[in-house]
Amino acid sequence: MTAASSIVAPYILPSGRLFAASGTRIANHVVFVLFGGGIRNQESVSQQYLANQGLTTEGNIMPNMLEGAMPTSNLVFDPWNPAITTPLSKQGTLFKEVRYVSGPTGHYNGHTVAMTGNYTETGINLVANPEFPTIFEYYRKHSDPAKAAINSWWLSEGLGPYPSLNYSRHPLYGAQYGANYLRPASIIGQSGYEQFGNAESYQPDDVQRILKVKSLLDNNFHKDVSDLPGIQNTPEDRERIKNFLLQELEDAVNGNFDVATPTNTYEGLTGDLLNISSAWHVLREFQPELTVINTVNSDVCHDLFSLSLDFLHRADFGIGWLWNNIQNHPVLANDTIMICMPEHGRNLETNALTDSNGFGAYDHTGTDNARRIFTLVVGPPDKVVQDQSLGNPNIPVAESIDVVPTIAKILGFEDQIPAGMLPGRFLNEAFI
Amino acid sequence: MIHKLFYWLIFASTITLLGCVKETTLTTNPIVDNYVFDVNGEAIYQSGLQKNKQKSPEQYISILYANLFQTSIPIDVLGVLGEVRVAIGDKQMANELILNGFVHEPDVLILSNNEMRNNLDEFINNIYLRFFLRTPTAYEKFELKKMIEEDSNLTPELIYQGFALSNEYQFY
Repeated sequence: MTAASSIVAPYILPSGRLFAASGTRIANHVVFVLFGGGIRNQESVSQQYLANQGLTTEGNIMPNMLEGAMPTSNLVFDPWNPAITTPLSKQGTLFKEVRYVSGPTGHYNGHTVAMTGNYTETGINLVANPEFPTIFEYYRKHSDPAKAAINSWWLSEGLGPYPSLNYSRHPLYGAQYGANYLRPASIIGQSGYEQFGNAESYQPDDVQRILKVKSLLDNNFHKDVSDLPGIQNTPEDRERIKNFLLQELEDAVNGNFDVATPTNTYEGLTGDLLNISSAWHVLREFQPELTVINTVNSDVCHDLFSLSLDFLHRADFGIGWLWNNIQNHPVLANDTIMICMPEHGRNLETNALTDSNGFGAYDHTGTDNARRIFTLVVGPPDKVVQDQSLGNPNIPVAESIDVVPTIAKILGFEDQIPAGMLPGRFLNEAFI
Repeated sequence: MIHKLFYWLIFASTITLLGCVKETTLTTNPIVDNYVFDVNGEAIYQSGLQKNKQKSPEQYISILYANLFQTSIPIDVLGVLGEVRVAIGDKQMANELILNGFVHEPDVLILSNNEMRNNLDEFINNIYLRFFLRTPTAYEKFELKKMIEEDSNLTPELIYQGFALSNEYQFY
């Protein structure tokens, strides 16, 4: 019997309520892609390409995620052959019209809403952790047995406020339930190479020697550093992750770093694709149960519409590449559900800027169109409804706050979350 | 290959800057003045009990660098390390990686195993002064000396890391 299908016998809590110690799981692994940078439904699920720029050319520039023919004329992006043969929309359920109902349509706000399952109505302190618990904290606190940090990961394309999203400042949750956070470009790039280029993985005997000296010293000191800010792994997991990161750096130096490009070279690599590539390496190495990543490069749409399409096309390739790898992994294949959703959309009207092709640019300033997004749920046919498309511009079918309760349901801990914490709903239409 | 990656990363950074920037402002903390944390090996604490304030990340990195290289950390190195530290969620892990990188730098000042074992009492006294800014108690000296004598593979490099990762080293 697999863990996914096991049901542990109920027990009585001190409160008298009857719960299952661990809920039934739909799958044992979830990958949540904040497919972002602010993506308009017009150029994504509606496949309008340049139809809003005074040209008639339409077409699908996301052939990995969506079904539809790519444009063949007026190409302003470098077309890549898809990484997969069957578009992901046919391998799952596409919620074509989803709403980011309230709160500012900023990137960090959008990320926060998607990862906490709660709208943030007021201004957000960009250097603070979110007010509401993140999906990582729900997962680690309410899973039974409790999950170590190595089972949950948050990888972001950039720094800025994003490192703050691996745990909240909620008094009942916080860093002790947070996820491992990584910004790969800072580790395997110039910065990491300069500082860790000489670093070496130690043999277990030497690790024990270091810890033995530390222990001796700690025994003679009156304070400890349990209040070090941030999450903490167990010593064993920390060692595994350190060795992994040093191996990543070595692979990058030696040209053995697999990347999500058609030729597996740095040709065409973007920040989004590096993040996706690293996420795959984390998945391959640790098989975490909960992984959240983002893409953001399409945000150049503030002034470079054509380039934003190119970034969108490449990020779509990365998602197909990632799914392909997952399906070829002995543990992850057929036991992983992937959810892709932009953090918010962009305006209907262009701003005053045009790119070299004369195309108008789009901001995201809280307009109705900036609240239009989509959600794609992909998974094995015995778990996720295949080739299903729901909603239209007049009938939105979900909200951005629905992903967190959906993940909670997939991983079997939704019943353990206190009532009132999550206003969203489980996207049951997507599941068998 | 690595150089190609670095060129690419510079390109990627440029692209990132083209997008929204209002939300990605980082607050830069002031550089710690190493003068406060003297690197001349003077005992300024009578006991570890006098240390009650936890070092900031910048303090920890600056002092660690000063202790291992016996010179102040260059501002650009501190900036890079600050970025690396932000990019890793587990700060203990980040510290360990930074320390690992430091101790394998060619110009790091670490004694050889033979040099250490030729005069253990002096080594122990100096390492306490270097990392903890105090002299060891008689019991601390006895314990560490015993540990070193019982394990010929316990090198200064590993001992330095034990000190740098210790709780006391996180406080001042």
